[in-house]
Parts: sequence; C-alpha cells; structure tokens
Amino acid sequence: MDEHNKPNASMLQVAKAVLAAFIGIRKKDDLENDAANIKPSQVIIGGLIGGAIFVVTILFVVKIIVN
Amino acid sequence: MAAIHGDVHGHGHDDHHPTGIMRWITTTNHKDIGSMYLWFSLAMFFTGGFLALGIRAELFQPGIQILEPELFNSFTTLHGLIMVFGAIMPAFVGFANWQVPLMIGAPDMAFARMNNWSFWLLPVAASLLVSSFFVPGGAAAGGWTFYPPLSTQGGLGVDMMIFAVHILGASSIMGAINIITTILNMRAPGMKLMDMPLFVWTWLITAYLLVLVMPVLAGTVTMLLTDRHFGTSFFNAAGGGDPVLFQHIFWFFGHPEVYIMILPAFGIVSEIIPTFARKPLFGYSSMVYATASIAILSCVVWAHHMFTAGMPTVGQLFFMYSTMLIAVPTGVKVFNWTATMWRGSMTFETPMLFAIGFIFLFVIGGFSGVICAIVPIDIQVQDTYYVIAHFHYVLVSGALFSLFAGAYYWLPKWTGHMYDETLGKWHFWLSMIFFNLTFFVQHFLGLAGMPRRIPDYALQFADFNMISSIGAFGFGMSQLLFVYIVIKCVRSKEAAPEKPWDGATTLEWTHLPTPAPYHSFEKPPVFKPVSH
Repeated sequence: MDEHNKPNASMLQVAKAVLAAFIGIRKKDDLENDAANIKPSQVIIGGLIGGAIFVVTILFVVKIIVN
Repeated sequence: MAAIHGDVHGHGHDDHHPTGIMRWITTTNHKDIGSMYLWFSLAMFFTGGFLALGIRAELFQPGIQILEPELFNSFTTLHGLIMVFGAIMPAFVGFANWQVPLMIGAPDMAFARMNNWSFWLLPVAASLLVSSFFVPGGAAAGGWTFYPPLSTQGGLGVDMMIFAVHILGASSIMGAINIITTILNMRAPGMKLMDMPLFVWTWLITAYLLVLVMPVLAGTVTMLLTDRHFGTSFFNAAGGGDPVLFQHIFWFFGHPEVYIMILPAFGIVSEIIPTFARKPLFGYSSMVYATASIAILSCVVWAHHMFTAGMPTVGQLFFMYSTMLIAVPTGVKVFNWTATMWRGSMTFETPMLFAIGFIFLFVIGGFSGVICAIVPIDIQVQDTYYVIAHFHYVLVSGALFSLFAGAYYWLPKWTGHMYDETLGKWHFWLSMIFFNLTFFVQHFLGLAGMPRRIPDYALQFADFNMISSIGAFGFGMSQLLFVYIVIKCVRSKEAAPEKPWDGATTLEWTHLPTPAPYHSFEKPPVFKPVSH
C-alpha cells in the first residue's frame, strides 16, 4: 500500500465516508475520491469517533423518550 | 481430498514432503490445511447433527422416551457448542484457507506453520467435548451459553468444555491473525483493497471481529474456571459477584460471534450470485461498507440477549434501537443481491440454488430477529422455540446453506472433477423442504409458549413437535446425500472443464488451471482490476 504519499482529506470528507459506511451506501465516484484521498488511519479514527457518536445519539434519543 | 493432491504432485514441483499420515500432520500447504478444516467440520457437523436428532427423537412425542432429562440437557448443550465452534466456524476457516490465497494471488497463507498448528488444535478440543459425555457427571448441561450458576455447579464435563473453548479460541485467534496478515500483505501486485473479491473482504472484517472478541470469551471462561476451582466469586452473588456480569461478558463475545458466522456467508453468496447472474455485483463498494458497518454495530447490541435478565428501561431501549438499526446495512446487502440478479442471464446450478435459498430464508431469519429485538415481544418469546426457529434460520439456512453453495461452487476447482448436478439439485430441494418442515413450525411452537431446552412438553405442542422431528430426520438424512456427492466428485475419473462457470471472474478461475495445482501463484499473477 502506498498511501503515504497521498494528500490528506478534509474532516468533512472523512465524516461523509464514515456516515456512508454506517448506512452501507456509497456512490462510485465518491468512493473513488475517498480511495484516492483518505488514509486508512483517518478512516479508522473517523470510524471510532463515528461509532461513539452513534452510541451517544441513541442514548440521547432514549433519554428524551424516557423523560 | 487426498486423491486429488496425489494427482497434481506429479506436475514437476520439488515436493519433498512426507507421505501418508505424516503428510497431513506436518503439512503447511494452505490447500491441505483447508481440506482438513473442511473434512473436520463435516465430521463435527454430523456429530452435532447426531445430537440434534437425539433431541428431536426425544421431542417426537410428549413424555420421556429415550433420553433422561440430564442427558437431554447435555445433548442440547453439546449440539450448540459443536455446531458453532466445531462445524460452522472451522468450515469458514477451511474456505478461507483454500480460497483467500487463490483469490488474492498469494502462494500460501502468511504463517504456514501457525496455520498447521491452528488446525491441529481442533481435534484436541473436539475430543475433549465429545469424550466429556463419558466422564462422571456427564457432559456440560447448562446450555451452549454456559451461564452460571449452572456452569459453576457442573462436574468434570464442564471443565473439559472450558478447556475445549480455550483451545478453540486460541485456534480461531491464530487463524484470524493469519488471514489478516495474508490479505494485507500478500495480495497480487496491483490489487488494491477495493479490488478484492467480496469473499476476501468479508473474511478480513470477520478476522478483525475474531481478534476482538475471542479473547473476551477466553477471559469469560477463565473467570468461570477460577470461580469453580480457585475460590473467586466473579459470578457468585454470595461472594459479592454477579451472575449477570457473565451474561454481559459472554454476549459481548456472543453477538459479534453471530456475525463471525454470517459475514463469510455473505462473502460466498456475493461471489456466487454475480457468477450465475453473469453480471458484476451490484453496489460492490456499498457491500464492503455495509459489511464494515454490520461489524461495528454488532459490538453495541449484545444486551438484546438479556432483556429479561433485569435491565433499566434506558438500557432496553438503547439495545432495542441499536439492534433494529443493524437491519439497515443488512437490508442494503439483500437489496444488492436482488439487484445483481435483476435482468441477469441467470442459470440455476446447485451453487446458485443454495445461494438463492440462502437469501430467501436468511431474510426470514433476519425479520424474526427484528421481531425479537422489540423488547415487549422479546419478553414474551425469550427462551421459547421462537428464538430457536429464529437463529436456525440464520445459522442453518444462512451459514450452512452458504457453505453448501460455496462447496458446490469450488469443488471443481479443488478436486478437478465435476460434482453430480442432478444429485446436487436433489440435495438442495430435500434440504430446503426438510429445513422448513423442521424449523418453520417452531415459530408457532414458540408463539404458543413452548420453552426451549426441555425434554418433555404439554400435550398442545404435540403435533408441531412431531412435524418438526420428521423434518429434522429428513434434513439429517439429506445431508448424507451431500457426503455421497462429495466423495463421488473426489473419486470421479472425469475431468471438470477448466472453467465450469462462465460468469466467474476471480483469480482462481481466470489465472489457475483446474484443479488448482498443489503450489499455485509461486509467481504473483498480473492483476488487472475489473470494474465493479
């Protein structure tokens, strides 16, 4: 893998890619763009943050419902 | 599949490996090890199946017929453990051993000796499990989930089960590390991650799940062991511990485990559907994304197995919502498979029949899973036959059907001979009919309130139980046909076509002869990405 020379993607692009991954749908053009610009480490960190946000969001919804 | 390998040895390679039994004990060849995994899992499938038929024979009529209640409980416990850890998981690892190197253009697995070790641990663990029936006190009888206090009270059989689970866990972790390293480091030059076949992708993600959760299982059973023998009280309320803690830790392993058994199945089906629809897989990238998404979500849903164990409403709602959300990426997958078939030039050879059967029945299992995820319904149906029906739709018509599909799909590549198509179709239809006869009626039994793990039941459940038992024996007998088909295929003298499936596009079909030679891809192939 020669990702080391690739330019860094913006936070927004990583967030979009992670969100797409959570839903499981991604356009081909966007995917190719992701593959060219996002480093694996960015996806992993983005995924962990995304997972945490996912958990907190559900907890938040649950709290609203319970109260 | 010794016969086949014997044939291909003469192809001019400098093979100085031992022959006879020592060949299999010392082998580091991924194909040999893959074959051993597959034969082992087939043997375990019939062992677990024997126990299942014991259960169904006892439940054929109300009253105690052939199994004493304690032995019945051991049968249900060992049936679950053997099928999960001895049959389904090793079968998928067998597929990974055979197919991952072939599909990414690698000469072998990354850690060939560790590969041998991870296989040879399995017969030891299986022997521990099976022989535990014959020790004083009998085999473990607290269910495959071995909840305390039942598992802290049992006899020697429980200790043997604990050691077996330790060994199986170690084997799985080594297998997973091997698969991850092979996929990340040994792909053919030019093959990027997003060029990999879906089967390789699903195994990569599954392997990460294995590395994540198998140590948790090992920790759980170790705590159980120290509770049993060294005076600790992790799960003993009298000593300040909490039995519910066990359930949390077990299911933190147990739920991702469900996906460990189904993600590679998704991979196999995602190879077969495009081949027989003669179209590229619809939404390749979304399949990869959905698999990753399912894997992540699978780690935050575990307590839906414990809704009745006592949980605050906030907890119930959290796990209900997170569980239901898994249906989204899973639905994306089912949509993609259907869209792949849409307007394809489909033919219905046995692998395709099993793959379509998989989609059809897995969707039923998925829907009943969403139903079980709803807390008020789960409180009604938990520990009933509804749950049994649900997870057999996922694991038998899901995981097992995909294994059959994959076996028929790759048998020509592995053996160099074609299987008997007519018999294969018979196998599919008999399995399909008897599977539904066995398990569909169990939904009704569960809704009517029949509890699981009991050797006797009230009279009103008699008819459906009789139907289910007839179906189970039919299903079991149908699997003997599979063994006959495989042996006939291995021993056949007729060579299979080089590429029996004209729609296949992965490296093992396009870059290797049939059968695959004992040593393949000694020089990395030239990989040209196909557009997904």
